[in-house]
Amino acid sequence: MSRQDKIRNFCIVAHIDHGKSTLADRLMEHTNTVSKRDMEEQLLDSMDIERERGITIKLTPATMKYTCNGEEYTLNLIDTPGHVDFSYEVSRSLAACEGAILVVDASQGVQAQTLANVYLALDANLEIIPVINKVDLPSADIPGTKKEIEDIIGIPCDEACEISAKTGLNINTVLDAVVKYVPAPKGDSSKPLKALIFDSYYDSYKGAVSMVRIFDGQVKVGDEILFMQTKKSFVVTEVGVYKPQAVETDCLKAGEVGYIAASIKTVSDTKVGDTITLKNNPIDKALDGYKEATSVVFCGIFPLDGDKYQELNDALEKLKLNDASIHFTKETSLALGHGFRCGFLGLLHMEIITERLEREFNLDIITTSPSVEYKVYDNKGKEYDVTNPTEMPPLPTIQKMEEPIVKMEIITPKDYLGGIMDLCADRRGVYLDMQYIDANRTKLIYTMPLNEIVYDFFDKIKSISKGYASMDYELSGYNESDLVKMDILLNGEICDALSIIVHKDKAYARGRALCEKLKTVIPRHLFEIPIQAVIGGKVIARETISAMRKDVLAKCYGGDVTRKRKLLEKQKEGKKRMRRLGSVELPSEAFVTILKLDD
Amino acid sequence: MVKNKPMGLYVHIPFCSKKCDYCDFVSYSMNKKAQQQYLDALFSEIDLVKRQYIGKTFDSIYIGGGTPSIVYEGFIAGLARKLFSSFHFAEKTEFTIEINPASFTKEKFFEYVQAGINRISVGVQCLDSKLLALHGRLQSLENIKGTFDILRNSQFPNVNGDLMIGLPGQTRSSVLKTVKFLIKNKVKHISTYGLQVEKGTMTFDKIRRGKFKSIPDKKTVSWYNKIYKLLKKNDYIRYEISNFAKPGFESKHNSKYWDETNYLGLGVPSHSFVDGYRFYNTKRLDTYIDAMNDGKSAVYSKEYLSKANRRTERIMLSLRTIRGLDLEQFEQDFNENLLVSRKDQIDLLISKNMLKIEDGYLKVTDKHFYVSNSIIVSLI
Repeated sequence: MSRQDKIRNFCIVAHIDHGKSTLADRLMEHTNTVSKRDMEEQLLDSMDIERERGITIKLTPATMKYTCNGEEYTLNLIDTPGHVDFSYEVSRSLAACEGAILVVDASQGVQAQTLANVYLALDANLEIIPVINKVDLPSADIPGTKKEIEDIIGIPCDEACEISAKTGLNINTVLDAVVKYVPAPKGDSSKPLKALIFDSYYDSYKGAVSMVRIFDGQVKVGDEILFMQTKKSFVVTEVGVYKPQAVETDCLKAGEVGYIAASIKTVSDTKVGDTITLKNNPIDKALDGYKEATSVVFCGIFPLDGDKYQELNDALEKLKLNDASIHFTKETSLALGHGFRCGFLGLLHMEIITERLEREFNLDIITTSPSVEYKVYDNKGKEYDVTNPTEMPPLPTIQKMEEPIVKMEIITPKDYLGGIMDLCADRRGVYLDMQYIDANRTKLIYTMPLNEIVYDFFDKIKSISKGYASMDYELSGYNESDLVKMDILLNGEICDALSIIVHKDKAYARGRALCEKLKTVIPRHLFEIPIQAVIGGKVIARETISAMRKDVLAKCYGGDVTRKRKLLEKQKEGKKRMRRLGSVELPSEAFVTILKLDD
Repeated sequence: MVKNKPMGLYVHIPFCSKKCDYCDFVSYSMNKKAQQQYLDALFSEIDLVKRQYIGKTFDSIYIGGGTPSIVYEGFIAGLARKLFSSFHFAEKTEFTIEINPASFTKEKFFEYVQAGINRISVGVQCLDSKLLALHGRLQSLENIKGTFDILRNSQFPNVNGDLMIGLPGQTRSSVLKTVKFLIKNKVKHISTYGLQVEKGTMTFDKIRRGKFKSIPDKKTVSWYNKIYKLLKKNDYIRYEISNFAKPGFESKHNSKYWDETNYLGLGVPSHSFVDGYRFYNTKRLDTYIDAMNDGKSAVYSKEYLSKANRRTERIMLSLRTIRGLDLEQFEQDFNENLLVSRKDQIDLLISKNMLKIEDGYLKVTDKHFYVSNSIIVSLI
């Protein structure tokens, strides 16, 4: 057998909480890749946020050695991120594999994400290995789960592994199945180098490191490699594999999974989906499926404490080192001072980055309402890309506006079809098609403006369908649209950070909702504060926060002045978290409420 | 600033026959033996600390509680003798005792007068017997009337009436009825305290469980403003946010809390402010008595006020008074011109007619006196 025949490249797909990460841990433990002593729960999820939320954001592959029928095999496990924001990254990870383990919780059966992920795997022509997990639970229904997988997904389950990732029961059957059913890679080491970057990260010693799957050819230290999309070339300084820590090797050959370091300064040069080849002996055509990571959601990020601007800048620079998909430029807001306009892959990506800024860098930040990229044409035919409502040209000079449109696919059990169709219609969706996947499940296809889904669409779909529906979307272009910029006036002054771009038909409802919501989050002041929603100078909604009529008329009992002082100091401390805008003090939550408006 | 001013002396009597539901002060149910032990302990504390006050003059004594009128006959007289023999008092010393109408008798009144007490503070709170019972306060309308009969018949010259506003169930008319009653009885001083529902009290619990509905701030503000007008019409001066008095009857003792004068507190868990230190005793009766038996201090916590804290207190305390904040004194003491350092806030508040400056004093305007907390917070 050749070296390649004993390689298996695979990933694990599962619904959230069905035990993907636990299984990955167990596989590594069982193959002695990691000793039990060093085992940290859910090893592959290396970020705190990933572990807490039970989601994978950054990938970590692992190379394992496993002996089956007297032969030693190299098993490369490539983890996949589990959210629609990262569907492109998922697709590149899948493209690096030949097989996928499908994990289904025996007590919960097939779930929405199971389907979404398994379809992605089927699209990538992967061999699917069904694994029934949590069979040790009293509520486990093994025959029922198998039947569901067969009926809904159409994968035979006679030989499905029945395991408990938690206790380690039957883990070897999974490893055996991987060896038996996942096809060996079919590359040719003698051909010119063809390697796919499925992820990259920044290492302070090695520079930007590309995680790669070698399809053809080989690569070793000293080779001059060419990145086919960025057209940049570098000299390789190190190659290696993940165990799951990076371990240097002599070379990487066809079929293998590992890393390439080449003293590259930024991960912007090691783009996910790019193809690496040799500069002196290149291939003609890059691998299919490359896409630029484009920002689709934008928001302002400001330090709560204006003095922390430089710290925020440094923190973003550091995050950018590891995540080429973050974009940021300086922004100045009247209400919030100096900060940054940032672009993200999606809402979750935005949430993760803001959470990391707060947790890993200890920064208190304010994020403004998310926006998408609009195209605005003025009277003279000049085109502007507007990602920030404050950059909108004045209303009278605008000739037309266009907004990004996505093609949206939603898979839902038919019980929730009505609710979801109502939601899509409400979000200006245009119905394209409906397909019956099976007796129970339906796929809906819509086109929809992106700005209707950046706020809370995903949450809404989940809540309407009790978590069973899943969605995916891709940008399909721009459509002309009747959009307006809506400003919010507090006590007569525009709060630029609260301005949004909204469709004209929805402006009234949204303006009303926004004013009502702001009324609940802005504390009472000593004087009355009108809150107004305004379009082009015309007030479309108004609420009033009445003046505070409250005080603690407590006695300084027996001379206990300290208690009273501390009370006031606490009140004062509370005010520190406020943003002062003219005469109005806004809590940072005010900016977040825009995201969480219930229509 | 006022180190040479005469000091105040506070003695806490931590006994009640029953705790009112809204109260979160330290109190223990009475029994004569415990009271005797406590009085012994007070004597020990006085002996322990009196040396530190040699050379200082006191001009007010305030016996508060708890329920000072509940202790056995002779307690107060004995305490008074001990105080007078241990500290140096000014000729015109204000000597106040708090009493609860339910436990006030003619005999006690005579004891007080003989002991030198010249000011009696009556815990009226409300004239509505039903409401008082609802809040677990042991006193009836008859008790209150009886108390004022005793005081009036003897022509006792200096009476304060305590009044509470914002008790769940209270109405505007019952509040005003109480105020009118006090005016009619010619009390010289009225304190109005807004109920602050504290965690751990029965009232807090009842509100949380939905048995009581708390009175909205809007209502208490309008009641307060009505009380203010009524009292103003009857020649009471509001000299502090909670305190109204006929001219010349402002409480010397209470004023010390606001103008940073020294005061010494004795007993559990009394607070003191002496030469820049704030300290207070343990709130546990047994700990206090043990400490005194061992001849040790009962001080539980002591803090030297930093300049920043003194600054906060100056703003907070002086703006509670009608006199206001002496801006020049403030600049002298803290090296800060408040009109410059808090320009934005002060300009805004003046433009909203919430603050005013008169003769070098920064004052909260009449209309906003009641909401002064937030004004104060924006200045500290």
